[in-house]
Amino acid sequence: MSYFAQALVNGIALGGMYTILVLGFSIIWGVMGVINLAHGEFVMVGAYLAWMASDFWDVDPFISAPVVFVVMLLFGYLVQRVLVNRIIDRSSLVSLLVMFGVSIILQSVMKIAFSADFRLANTDLDGAWRLSDQLTIPVTRFWILVVAVGVTAGLGLFLGHSRLGKSIRAAAQNREAARIVGVDVKKVYAVTFALCIGLTGVAGALISPLLAVQPFQGPPLTLKAFAITAMAGLGSVRGALGGAMVLGMVEAMLALYVDRIGTNLAVVASFVLLVAALVLRPQGIFKGLRHVDATST
Amino acid sequence: MRRSVRAFVLVSVLATAAAACGESPAEDAAPAEGDAAPVDLSAFDGAVRIGAALSETGKFAVEGRDSRQGYDTWVRWVNEEYGGIRIGEGRYGAEIVYYDDESDADTAANLIQRLIDEDQVDFLLGPYSSGLTTGTSAIAEANNVIMVEGNGTSDTMFERGFQNLFLVATVASDYTKSAVEALAARGVRTAVIAHEDTTFPTSVAEGARRHLEANGIEVLAIEKYPKDIQDVSAIMTKFRNLGPDVFLGGGHYNDAVLFVNAADELGFEPDAMLITVGPSNPRLVEQLDDDVEGVLGPTQWEATMAYEGHWFGSAADYAAYYQRLWGEPPVYQAASATASALALHLAIEAAGSTDTDAVRQALRALRADTFYGPIAFDERGVNTAKPMGTIQVQDGEILVVAPDAAAVAALVYPRG
Repeated sequence: MSYFAQALVNGIALGGMYTILVLGFSIIWGVMGVINLAHGEFVMVGAYLAWMASDFWDVDPFISAPVVFVVMLLFGYLVQRVLVNRIIDRSSLVSLLVMFGVSIILQSVMKIAFSADFRLANTDLDGAWRLSDQLTIPVTRFWILVVAVGVTAGLGLFLGHSRLGKSIRAAAQNREAARIVGVDVKKVYAVTFALCIGLTGVAGALISPLLAVQPFQGPPLTLKAFAITAMAGLGSVRGALGGAMVLGMVEAMLALYVDRIGTNLAVVASFVLLVAALVLRPQGIFKGLRHVDATST
Repeated sequence: MRRSVRAFVLVSVLATAAAACGESPAEDAAPAEGDAAPVDLSAFDGAVRIGAALSETGKFAVEGRDSRQGYDTWVRWVNEEYGGIRIGEGRYGAEIVYYDDESDADTAANLIQRLIDEDQVDFLLGPYSSGLTTGTSAIAEANNVIMVEGNGTSDTMFERGFQNLFLVATVASDYTKSAVEALAARGVRTAVIAHEDTTFPTSVAEGARRHLEANGIEVLAIEKYPKDIQDVSAIMTKFRNLGPDVFLGGGHYNDAVLFVNAADELGFEPDAMLITVGPSNPRLVEQLDDDVEGVLGPTQWEATMAYEGHWFGSAADYAAYYQRLWGEPPVYQAASATASALALHLAIEAAGSTDTDAVRQALRALRADTFYGPIAFDERGVNTAKPMGTIQVQDGEILVVAPDAAAVAALVYPRG
C-alpha cells in the first residue's frame, strides 16, 4: 500500500514539475498560435539566472524566482517586440523557424558565456519529509507543486475575470474579430508572450536545484511541453495542470510497476498519449483555446 | 494534416538533418582547426599530423574539453619539453587537427572521414564516449588508419576484430571490479543496478553484474533508463523497497546528480553507493557536497596513484604539469587522453616511422610504465595491464580506496 502511495506522491511531484514547465508554452501556442521551439532554452536561461543568484549571492532559487520572473518578463517582451510581432501574421511555419533559430542562438550564447559545465543551484528546501520508512515526500518538488498550483489558479483567475485576460482569450479565439471590437491585439500578444516567458523562467529557476543546468538542457524540455500541450489542449490553464498530472502519474506508475524497462516505457508514454489525443480528440483532452489544426489566425 | 503539427515535424526533421549531415562543421571547422596551443613546427625535421573529433558542444561538452586538454598537454610536452618525436635520426613536431563533433555520432563519423580524406592525418586519437568511438573507429578501420583512444571503453567495440583500434584505459566491464572486490571483502550480500541503456553504461552494468556474482553478491534488480532522463524517483523507490546493501548506478554526469538527489529525497540509504561517472569529478563533489559524501566511483586514474614513468615522470608530476598549463587539476578523462597520445608517440618511436603497419606492430609490442599506469595491449587492442581504481568521497575529498596497491585511504563502509 505504501508502495502505491509513494508512486502517487512521485507522480504528483512529477506532475507539478511538468505543470510549471508547460504553462508558458501552452498559453503562447493557444493564444498566439506560435509553437515556441525555444521554450526549453527560456527555461535554461531562467535556470542560469537562479544558479547565478545561488552561486554568487547565496540566494535560494525559491527566493530569486520572482526576480527571475521579472527579468525574463522583460526579456520576453523584448523578444516579442523585436521578433515575434513582426512575423505573427505570417504562416505558422515562419514563427516556428524563427523560434528554432532563437533556441540555437540562446544555446550558443549561454555556452560561450558560461561554458558547457554542469551547474546546480542550492536550495534550503531540499531533502524529504519522512512519513514512514516507505513513504517520503520530496521537499523541493512539493514546493514546486505549490508554486505550480498557485500560478495555475492565478492565471485561471486572470484569464477568466480580468479585462486584459478576457482580451487575451478574445484574441486567441478570433484575432480579426477581436481587432474589430477594439482589442489592441499587438499589445495583448506582447503581454501574453512576456508573461509566459516570465513564467517559463520561473520554471527554470525552480528546477535548477534538481536538474543540472547546462546550455543544452532545453530540447528535451521543449519536446515534453509540446507533447503535454497538444495532448491536453492548447492554451488551457486547467489543461496544462491536468495534462501534466496525467502524464506525471502515468510515467510514475509505469516506471514503478514495470520491471527493468519501466522508465523507458514512461518516456514513450507521453508520445503514445500525444498521438492518441491528436487522432481522437484534436481539441485536447481538456479542450484548449484552439484546435491543434487551427491556422495562425 | 494539422498545419502547426506538420510544421513542428518539419522543423524537427530539419534539425536532425542539419546535425546528421554535419553541416555546421563546414563552417565551424575552420576556426576549430589550429586553435590548439599554437605550435611552431619549423624547428623540427617534420611533423606528425594527428586528427581528433571531440565534443565542444552537446552532451559531452565537459568531458570533450577535458579530453582535448589532455591531448594538448601531450602536444605541448612533446614539442616544448621532450623536443619532438624521435623518428630515426630526425625530430618530428606533433600537431593535432581538431573538430567539434557536437556530441553527435553522425557528425563525428563525417569529421573522421574528413580528417582522413582532406586533412590527411597520419593517425587518429579518439573522441569522448563509447557511442562516438564506436562509429568513428569503424571508419578509421575501413580506411586503415590507427586510432588510439582512452575515453571509449565499451567492450563491444573490441569484439569486432578491428586491427587499428587501441585503448589505453580499462574496459567498461572492469570498471567496478576493484570496488566490488573491496565491498565483498567487507561483507556485502546484496546489490541493485540502474544503468542508462546506451553502449557504455550497459557494458559497465553487465560487467558489474558479473563481478558481483563472481564475488557471491546477489543482484536483486537491474533497471534500465533512457538517456536525457529527468527523473529517477521511480527507480529509487523500487530499490528502497528491496533494501540492498549496495546501489550501483551507471550513466553520465547528470545521472549522478539525479541519483544522489533522488536517494536523498526518498530516504534510500544503501550502505554503499557506487556511481559510474561523476564522483571522481571534483565539480560534482563541489556541487552536491554533503549528499555525495561516502559515494564510491571508479576511476581510470588519480594523481595520487603511485604510477611513474620515464615520460612526464610520476602521476603527481603529470598533474602538476597539467595544472601549470590549464590552471586546474586533471580529471581522469584528461589523463586518459594524454596517455593515448603518449602510447601512440612511443609506438611511432619504436617503429621508427609513421607507416601504419609498422606502428601497429609497435603498439602491439609496446610494454611501458607511465604516469598513467602500465600500458600493454592484448590482441583486441585493450590495455589489460592497468587495473581500475576506486575512489570514495571522504570529507569532501576524492580519495583512492581500492585496489590496495593504489589506495591512499581505507574504504568507509557503511557510508554512514
